[in-house]
Amino acid sequence: MREITYLEAVREAMTQEMERDSRVFLIGEDIGEYGGAFQVTYGMLEKFGHDRILDTPITELGLTGAAVGAALIGMRPIAEIMFMDFTTLASEQLVNQAAKLRFMFGGQSTVPMVLRTAAGSGTGAAEHHSQSFENWFVHVPGLKVVMPTSPYDVKGLLVSSIRDDNPVVFIEHKLLYKTKGEVPEELYEIPLGKADIKRAGKDLTIIATGIMVQKSLAAAEELAKEGIDIEIVDPRTLRPLDTETIVGSVKKTGKVLIVHEAVKTGGFGGELAGVIAESEAFGYLEAPIIRLAGKEVPIPYNRDLEQAAVPQIADIVEKARELATLKV
Amino acid sequence: MAIEMIMPKVDMDQETGTVVEWTKTDGQQVKEGETILVIETDKIAMDVEAPGTGILNGISAYPGDVIPIGTVIAYILEEGEEVPVAKAVTPVPEAEVKQATAAPAGDVPATPVAKKMAEVHGVDLSKVVPSGTGGKVTKDDVQSAITPPAAVGGGQVIATPAARRIARISGVNLSLVQGSGPGGRIQASDVESFRPGISLPAASPVQSGESIPLIGMRRTIAERLTASYQSIPHIQFTARVDMTNFVKARKDYNDLALERGDEKISVTAMLVKLVAMVIADHPMINSSLVEDSIILHRDINIGVAVALEEGLIVPVVKNANQKGISKIALETTDLVKRAKEETLVGADVRGGTFTITNLGPFGVEQFNAIINPPEAGILAIGATTQEVIALDEGTIAVRPIMRFTLSADHRIIDGAVAARFIADLKTTFENPILMNY
Amino acid sequence: MKLAKENAEQYLLQMYQIRAFEEQAEKSYMAGKIHGTMHLSIGQEASAVGSISTLESTDFIIGHHRGHGLCIAKGADLNLMMAEFYGKENGYCRGRGGSMHIADIAGGNLGANGVVGGGIPMAVGIGIGLKMKGENQVLLAFFGDGAASTGAFHESMILAVLYQVPVVFICENNQYAMSFSASDWTTSKKIAAHGEIYGMAGSCSTDGNDLLEVQSAVEEAVKLAREGGGPSLIVNDTYRWRGHSKSDRNRYRTKEEIEEWKKKDPILKFGKYCVSEKILSEKEIEKIKEHGYADIEAARVFAEASPDPRVETLEEGVYAP
Repeated sequence: MREITYLEAVREAMTQEMERDSRVFLIGEDIGEYGGAFQVTYGMLEKFGHDRILDTPITELGLTGAAVGAALIGMRPIAEIMFMDFTTLASEQLVNQAAKLRFMFGGQSTVPMVLRTAAGSGTGAAEHHSQSFENWFVHVPGLKVVMPTSPYDVKGLLVSSIRDDNPVVFIEHKLLYKTKGEVPEELYEIPLGKADIKRAGKDLTIIATGIMVQKSLAAAEELAKEGIDIEIVDPRTLRPLDTETIVGSVKKTGKVLIVHEAVKTGGFGGELAGVIAESEAFGYLEAPIIRLAGKEVPIPYNRDLEQAAVPQIADIVEKARELATLKV
Repeated sequence: MAIEMIMPKVDMDQETGTVVEWTKTDGQQVKEGETILVIETDKIAMDVEAPGTGILNGISAYPGDVIPIGTVIAYILEEGEEVPVAKAVTPVPEAEVKQATAAPAGDVPATPVAKKMAEVHGVDLSKVVPSGTGGKVTKDDVQSAITPPAAVGGGQVIATPAARRIARISGVNLSLVQGSGPGGRIQASDVESFRPGISLPAASPVQSGESIPLIGMRRTIAERLTASYQSIPHIQFTARVDMTNFVKARKDYNDLALERGDEKISVTAMLVKLVAMVIADHPMINSSLVEDSIILHRDINIGVAVALEEGLIVPVVKNANQKGISKIALETTDLVKRAKEETLVGADVRGGTFTITNLGPFGVEQFNAIINPPEAGILAIGATTQEVIALDEGTIAVRPIMRFTLSADHRIIDGAVAARFIADLKTTFENPILMNY
Repeated sequence: MKLAKENAEQYLLQMYQIRAFEEQAEKSYMAGKIHGTMHLSIGQEASAVGSISTLESTDFIIGHHRGHGLCIAKGADLNLMMAEFYGKENGYCRGRGGSMHIADIAGGNLGANGVVGGGIPMAVGIGIGLKMKGENQVLLAFFGDGAASTGAFHESMILAVLYQVPVVFICENNQYAMSFSASDWTTSKKIAAHGEIYGMAGSCSTDGNDLLEVQSAVEEAVKLAREGGGPSLIVNDTYRWRGHSKSDRNRYRTKEEIEEWKKKDPILKFGKYCVSEKILSEKEIEKIKEHGYADIEAARVFAEASPDPRVETLEEGVYAP
């Protein structure tokens, strides 16, 4: 099968869906001639024209609201906010409106929109261009939150998100854009709310999101040499969460390490720990549930500090080894 | 119809009873009259029988809990019946309980429950900080000694959820399990290895005679021996020894001892010293297999099996190769005495690296003993009897002959290694002055 | 052109229905039958009816929290509206929305909103969608002077013009945000001027209490939008007789001011006009008024007899399947 990048997979998903369904259109800053801040939409303006690729001035709130309104009237817009940090500006339309309209109006309406955004650190973009807020949106009933980690996953999940009749916050990681993988040429769906076991193992479960999945896979290879066999569960969709797969894995290994880039306090890891502790898996735990996550700091500029602010492969190796050998 | 099982009053002035051990667990079939619980009152440990036939469930009092008499602590249910919702059992805080005034003669005052726990876990009571009235060591104190940093006030066992689940299912009393996790935390594997292969009978067998519950020491022995027998490949080597010189040497020692007014040199003392000296030349015998490594022990600590009414206990003579025979005699006499009086402490029974078991006095000619884990070998001493033997010259003679049998862990000790040891032992037994040569 | 009698009747009836609904809402609330709060639009009837009477039934509106009048003007079923106000299961929103969030999607009412300015960005998107659908539909997007100061308003103006959406933005300037006086920072004229600044063709301000003046201005803007001429901003200068919400003590304005504006009662004004133009008689007007109040009374009865939602159904309707 041919290999393409994560970025190309995003573009392909949108392009193919737009070809298939005339209700799909894009709205975002600099997505036209510029091709998008990360070049995701490069070439799409030529293909679809100004009527379906809506370039906007700096109006995060406005463009997000426009997506909500268009979805309300039956279109299927994909809005782009180039850095997740700026979803703060769009929150009113996302959280107060998109998430709630269906419920508030007693089921009379749907808001079938996708809000795509790029999260994560590692590019030296520092405090205002490097954050991860997925748990803010996980916290809102009415939204769905998706965090794909591979080219294969991102295409299938974006197609499903576009076809979903609910507002979906679709979080891409900047450092994943250039990663390559096998991606089918045809359109395909990966269902939302279904986790993926990226690596099967028996000694320890790692639940990781975003780029931490790649880092955990690398850590697992390291630890395999020490005879520690790690299972890696990638939730893929954070809301709704595939608790069945997670609980099943923890029951099998009895030890779980949660790894995410976002800050630890109030992060998604707490939610996962709670889900596990309240589930059948509790009776199979051999050690405390451990979370390895971002430090309690904004993302700094200096490269070493930036690296130190979030978990790296070495950190995962160390924590996983500690847990697997029951040092904690 | 649910039958209530209450904490019974057995003594006139008794207000509470302490749960020592359940011998059946939630969900198991019990028969009326069958002993399913051991409790302790001021005076004595008592067996408590099931008040009916059915399924035991809803146990709400656990080992160490002090329960006022008349409190419902379990139910006997019919098939499919639910446990009635009852108010929670609140154990009486230990400080309020009147402790046993007649503690068995021993160095350390401790409650019977505490002593039992200490014995099973090999805790040195003299090293435990007492918190009971009158400076008595309580079960909580012993629990703290077993699981030091992790121990929670109230004597709660620190165990992982997985360990608890398995303990619940297999009826293991967690307070008896040694934890291998951080801070002494009990892991699932600790519970699993605590009862390998043994399962309590699902239905009570048909009884025609007395039924002795497998609890306490008996149970511990059963479990350990099963573990040993099932997991260690035993090889056995028997040698025949002419004890003429051994007997003479002992006599000489005893003449000396008598003269000096010292402790008599028993056969046991001689055996201990002799074996220890020979082991010193055969380090592989004095070892343990721990995961993937063979640990060669520095010290030679010889355990002496002592038969008790309820079972077997193995007090240990530490560094037997470095002690004079008189000292060893003193020690072994004391150990055996205290073993029989049930006043041994943890330190007495821990740390053994090799065991001698002597059934000679009972007239047993030869027998194969089961290794005492984590040791690598055990020497079974048979009776010394006058036998006719053929001498090298072709003549016959009557000599005192004894057969000993070495059981060795074949994972560590090869045939040749064992044979060399046996040969050395035989030679030394037949010429005791060689032990100091 | 002379105003047709049936139109006059319809406008008057709707205005009386609005007035009656608001008065009943107030009564029910004070009798302790209503949970939460409410925002009454008594005095703003002409702005609602004048604007919405310009629409086809296939056109849309989107509103704000003071939107009972807008719903009625768009042809809402009064029973279902009142039931929703009462929080009942057979209200428009199954009791989940209440006063501030009433919507009648099938009827083209895309909802009231609890966030000031919340509907404006959506209006842009609705306009984009309508344009893409290509069926010449138009949206009236209502908001107040309070929303005119928000970032959402200004971003939306820019985007609306950029995409030339078929939307008529209607600002009902009732002189006060919550308590903040609009005149401290702007006037209806100035707000309307934003339309021009942002590049909207048909922008103006009107006497919001003059139904026909409002109607005329909005009609022109609607025509422009329908023909592809893009968005307009119309500011209806009006007044709310009651406080912002029920808890408003009216500390920020004087009794005299309120009385002054009451004299400009849009219903009476229109009634007078109809009489003087000989379109309707006083008697006919009286009958229409009775009709309106009777409709509301029937709605009240309906609502009070309606069942509450069952608690077991709490988690329904969050997600579309």
